[in-house]
Amino acid sequence: MTDTTQSTDRSGTATGDGPEIPDEYDLPPDADPSVCAHCGAPFADEELLVLHRGIDHADALDDSERDAFEDAYESERERLRSFRLKALGALVLLYFGLLITYSVFA
Amino acid sequence: MVGSSLRRHCCRLLVPVLAGTLFVGTAAAHGGSLGAGSRESIRIPTWLFLLTGGGAIGASFLLSSFVTDRLFIREFHGWGRDAVVPARRLLVALGHLAGLAGLAAVVVVGFLGPDAALANLGLLLVWVGWWAGFTMTTYLVGNSWPILNPFRTITSALPTLDRDYPDRFGAWPSAVGLLALIWLEVVSPLADDPRLLATTVLGYGAVTLAGAAVFGPTQWFADADPVARVFRYYGRVAPLTRDDDTGRLRLRLPGSALTDARLVDGLDEVAFVVALVWVTTYDGLVATPLWRGFATWIVGVGVPPAVLYPAALVAGYLAFFGAYWLAARGARRLADSYVSTRVLAQRFAPPLLAIAAGYHLAHYLEYFLSLAPAALAVAPTPLSGPATGEVPIGVVPGWFGALNLTFVLLGHLLAIWVAHAAAFDRFPGRLQAIRSQYTFTLVMICYTMTSLWIVSQPSVTPPFL
Repeated sequence: MTDTTQSTDRSGTATGDGPEIPDEYDLPPDADPSVCAHCGAPFADEELLVLHRGIDHADALDDSERDAFEDAYESERERLRSFRLKALGALVLLYFGLLITYSVFA
Repeated sequence: MVGSSLRRHCCRLLVPVLAGTLFVGTAAAHGGSLGAGSRESIRIPTWLFLLTGGGAIGASFLLSSFVTDRLFIREFHGWGRDAVVPARRLLVALGHLAGLAGLAAVVVVGFLGPDAALANLGLLLVWVGWWAGFTMTTYLVGNSWPILNPFRTITSALPTLDRDYPDRFGAWPSAVGLLALIWLEVVSPLADDPRLLATTVLGYGAVTLAGAAVFGPTQWFADADPVARVFRYYGRVAPLTRDDDTGRLRLRLPGSALTDARLVDGLDEVAFVVALVWVTTYDGLVATPLWRGFATWIVGVGVPPAVLYPAALVAGYLAFFGAYWLAARGARRLADSYVSTRVLAQRFAPPLLAIAAGYHLAHYLEYFLSLAPAALAVAPTPLSGPATGEVPIGVVPGWFGALNLTFVLLGHLLAIWVAHAAAFDRFPGRLQAIRSQYTFTLVMICYTMTSLWIVSQPSVTPPFL
């Protein structure tokens, strides 16, 4: 995510008119990535791209991109909340599971 | 990394040397393996002990997944204070001198001093002073090996050909060198025989001087030398570091530098980190009864022991590397990311250093505390051995077994946290970052359980050596 100014004259990795995809990415042959217009980083879906833009290119965002980032961030927060509930459940399960196992075997 | 084998040696040595001293009963009991002590203090079935260790890793992953504030994580890891070191040149000069004096003592006393391992200052300096004590300072305080390293001091004063170090070699020579040193340590009585140890140090010195003369000390110690790399990597865990640009000392939170993407930037360096983790396991594994049974069977089938040990070293290493690589591939898939497996493997390798440091501390703190008095006692009369004919051995309290297990777990917990922070640095999605850690956590759970199993086993002498 460094070479933001390079053009796309190197063959093979370039997609469309944006900057070329950096070396650290490795696209599967059937991939249809959402590519960052600033640095060429490819993402599996639009939401990840929007989040990436908001985090790594926060200074270069226009108003609509900023709104999109805030929406994506918010929608991710919802999913995080449900993940946390599951994680909490797993912790409780682990704790009592071990507690019961100890009471039986130790 | 040479932990339990030294313990084995220590165990074998302690009983005859200490007979007749005040400490004999307790010293022999505490010279035993890490596992023997810890099993006594816990008294639960081994499988439950392993399950609990694995569960602790899983729980810490779940707990760290509750911290999803990017800014907090970044600030936490970026925290630091700078300070100017007073009389820096004087300290560096003293460090050079101390390193040179240590090397001279190891070689001279190694060849001319007493034969008994515990009476020989050269041998105690290497294993107790340097490999146990000094290594602890590299991850608990900071890496001062570039200053102390006597070979570096010597080569810096000598002319060099300054050939370009081939880029394609990278860290591979140091990874191979590390595996070779461990193999040598396991199959030879390097911790018992002062002459052999002094010869080995001279051999290592010859290779190092030759390498530094051809490529220049800076390149040699940065790329090819395994020892310098071990300490440099351990130093990344430490709270103190030197800022290369300003020469100032920087204080940071322990382990916080392990999220730095530049720390490991090639497959060769990943290979070295995995080697550092694997050699600890290998060293303990060959001292288990299971290995004894396996080795007896396979030598009975017709495989010579001279092939068995290096083959097991390489096979186990490849298995470790393979497991780590699969975890990186799994992370790429689970995080739905296009970042290459190789970049992910690089990014999540530094947390493993915290694990390696935890194991080192668990293996060596007790060893260091019990043998440091011996080193101090023989220091005044290095060539003739201790004046009284006896060597004092420190006795650590019984709860040290539990403390050692705590170090192992702490190393893992730090690794889990650092990997979590690195994932948040690497991936734009927070849930994506958490998902990327599933496979790495799984690998860490398996590794913890394997390691705890090894330390829970009685330590036996590796067969056919």
